[in-house]
Amino acid sequence: MNEPALKELLYKIADDQLILGHRNSEWTGFGPLLEEDIAFSSMAQDKVGQSHALYQMLETLGEKDPDTVAFMRNADQFHNCIMVELPNGEYDFSLIRHFLYDTAEAIRFEMLSESSYQPLADISKKIRAELRYHTLHANTWVKQLGSATEESISRLQRSLEQVMPYALGMFEESPYEKELIGDKIFGGEQALKERWMKKVEAIIAQTQLQLPDWKTIQPVMGGRAGKHSEYLQPLLDEMSEVFKIDPTAEW
Amino acid sequence: MYGGGNTFEGIKTDSIAQEDPVKLAEFEARIERGEKIEPTDWMPALYRKQLIRMIEQHAHSEIIGALPEGTWITRAPGFKRKISLMAKVQDEVGHGQLLYSAAETLGKTREQMIDDLISGKSKYSNIFNYPAFTWADSCFISWLVDAGAIVNQLANAKGSYGPYCRALDRICAEESFHLKYGHHCVIYLATGTQKQREMFQEAINRWWKPMMHFFGPSDKISAHTEVLMRWKVKMSSNDDMRNQFLDMYVPKIWELGFTIPDENLKKNPDTGRWDYTEPDWEEFKRVINGDGPCNKERLEVRRIAEERGKWVRQALKKAQTKYTVPLA
Amino acid sequence: MNSLDPRVNRLPLVGTPGEISPKAPLDQLGTFEVFVQPKEGKPFQHEGIVHAPDVEMAFVLAKETFTRRFMCFSLYVCDTRNVYVSPLTDGATNAYDLIRDSVNSGSEKTSFEIYHLPRRGKQHVHAGTVQAGSPEEAMAEAKQKFKSDKTIYNVWAIRTSDIRFTSAEEKDLWLTLPEKKFRDASDYKGGDKLKEFLERNNA
Repeated sequence: MNEPALKELLYKIADDQLILGHRNSEWTGFGPLLEEDIAFSSMAQDKVGQSHALYQMLETLGEKDPDTVAFMRNADQFHNCIMVELPNGEYDFSLIRHFLYDTAEAIRFEMLSESSYQPLADISKKIRAELRYHTLHANTWVKQLGSATEESISRLQRSLEQVMPYALGMFEESPYEKELIGDKIFGGEQALKERWMKKVEAIIAQTQLQLPDWKTIQPVMGGRAGKHSEYLQPLLDEMSEVFKIDPTAEW
Repeated sequence: MYGGGNTFEGIKTDSIAQEDPVKLAEFEARIERGEKIEPTDWMPALYRKQLIRMIEQHAHSEIIGALPEGTWITRAPGFKRKISLMAKVQDEVGHGQLLYSAAETLGKTREQMIDDLISGKSKYSNIFNYPAFTWADSCFISWLVDAGAIVNQLANAKGSYGPYCRALDRICAEESFHLKYGHHCVIYLATGTQKQREMFQEAINRWWKPMMHFFGPSDKISAHTEVLMRWKVKMSSNDDMRNQFLDMYVPKIWELGFTIPDENLKKNPDTGRWDYTEPDWEEFKRVINGDGPCNKERLEVRRIAEERGKWVRQALKKAQTKYTVPLA
Repeated sequence: MNSLDPRVNRLPLVGTPGEISPKAPLDQLGTFEVFVQPKEGKPFQHEGIVHAPDVEMAFVLAKETFTRRFMCFSLYVCDTRNVYVSPLTDGATNAYDLIRDSVNSGSEKTSFEIYHLPRRGKQHVHAGTVQAGSPEEAMAEAKQKFKSDKTIYNVWAIRTSDIRFTSAEEKDLWLTLPEKKFRDASDYKGGDKLKEFLERNNA
């Protein structure tokens, strides 16, 4: 098995989940209605939990323990896509990001549930079940707000256009793409992206939103290679503020 | 998280004389038998009014209570604490949801209650008007403020109003996680480095005064509440709850080698109750009425949340669904 | 705002501090009753309500509001307006005694879910399903089918077709729930650490 390729894959997925889980947790207590506050927080917890499980898998492959990996690295050592580190904005932005991201994650983990790397296949089956709620939630909300008032439609439309270039950055290819596909560890970003586009189109078609023309969107890449926006390092500094008071202490 | 501290100031009982004596007798007999009152039952206007007031304050205390601990939600140290704190603060929001629903069965909508919170008309536990300076403050809240809330909530769960009792049963079950989580955090600080111990000692020093205020003014100066005790709205006196809390938790704090900033605090062997320096009830009143360190911020955060969520709620409003009072 | 909470410092400034901006008198949404089946084979129980614009959204919101911990096998929701309610009684009277023995609605029969309140202060519990042409007929059918010596304080009837059920493929929504131990008190065992600390201090 190609270990560097596998590790690269696990890191980028785990980093995505951690950073978006962290961002989404910022909504806790500030949500647009109480029930949604609760739902959004649960999904944030799921994501942080999923990242933890993937970091644990990396630990079995010789990497450092999950706390050290999550709380002690700097931005240039993170492999998440830039989309997940962007500030939450208003609820329309957070919702559209959640929709575009979780639609991709649901397909990603479906693909990974057939991975030749058995531990990953096993965990993916569980994560898939959790993501079933995340996509049900995202789709229901996008359909509601995407066909409701003038304000809600225009807000979602604006966010959709704003997020889309970053969303395509999710599919930035890894240097090991061929090996991952060849070894049947993961079916590859291109295959994922094609399935994702179809799924996104199908949901957006049920709303009054307009998808931008795929061909005109310039994807924002770089995150997978550690090149991030100005938002990631402050996020990490904030996240590790207490942990770094004494990284050897037990909290 | 609610200590019941400021619910029953100066109630007027005149309205009871206007009630139908037969119905009132039936109502009181039902409570006397230990049966719960359900939303469709006849009830005295004063009972309804005081219950709405109490449950509403309790609900506000949950959603405002989510803010001091929420101060640390993005900074919790390590995976375990990060996920736990998220789940803990989420529960507070969930408790708010349950309690607003219980209060709604009495005829006041959630929106009216939240409007009254933001305008300052309706109160919440004074303790959440204090700031959480460090991670250790959030641990103090999770452990000891929740512990105090449990003393009050377990008592209230034996009250007479069905929907409130159902909500409290659920809430108390979840609070056991909060209490254990909070104690776990504190044990780790207490047994950790010198710095960690200092952090928690400082948190105790900051929070002890509001903690003593939490259960409300001493019985000597509290408004008379006999009728509310008889109707099982108020289940325990402020001083009794404070004493019960001290009984259960002072030894646990001392056991961890921390000190409590009250030199008069000790159990009186003659009375079996705790002696302590009388809390400053003037300060308590000032804070309740808006002049605490964080009152402005807490209400402002809630107002902004409501304001930002308004377009969402408006977009969700549909002609075919209508607000209805919950059944139970 | 200058807050200790970095999230608060990032909040946008909207509206005027201390003032609620004008809005429609009631932006409250509809009310939906939530029922949960804790385990396969156990009856559904009433758990509470959520506010939502429609039954689909109510289902999505009810899931995390009511089933984020403990056991859940299935969940359903219905509009509060679609729950038909019998009189509520006290200890001396069975609610079924206040319901007619038979009603013939003459309408085409559909199924209704029947709920019982076994005691004041408790939750309504699913008793079973009856076929009837109207809610009144459903109550009468339920009386024939479910009345026993045990006093029931209140009966609810809900047309089955008004309920948003958990679909077969949604059953795995709760698959990982038992693993979410971080929501449970049992996950926070500090006893050993505490004991060791006390022994060290007393030595």
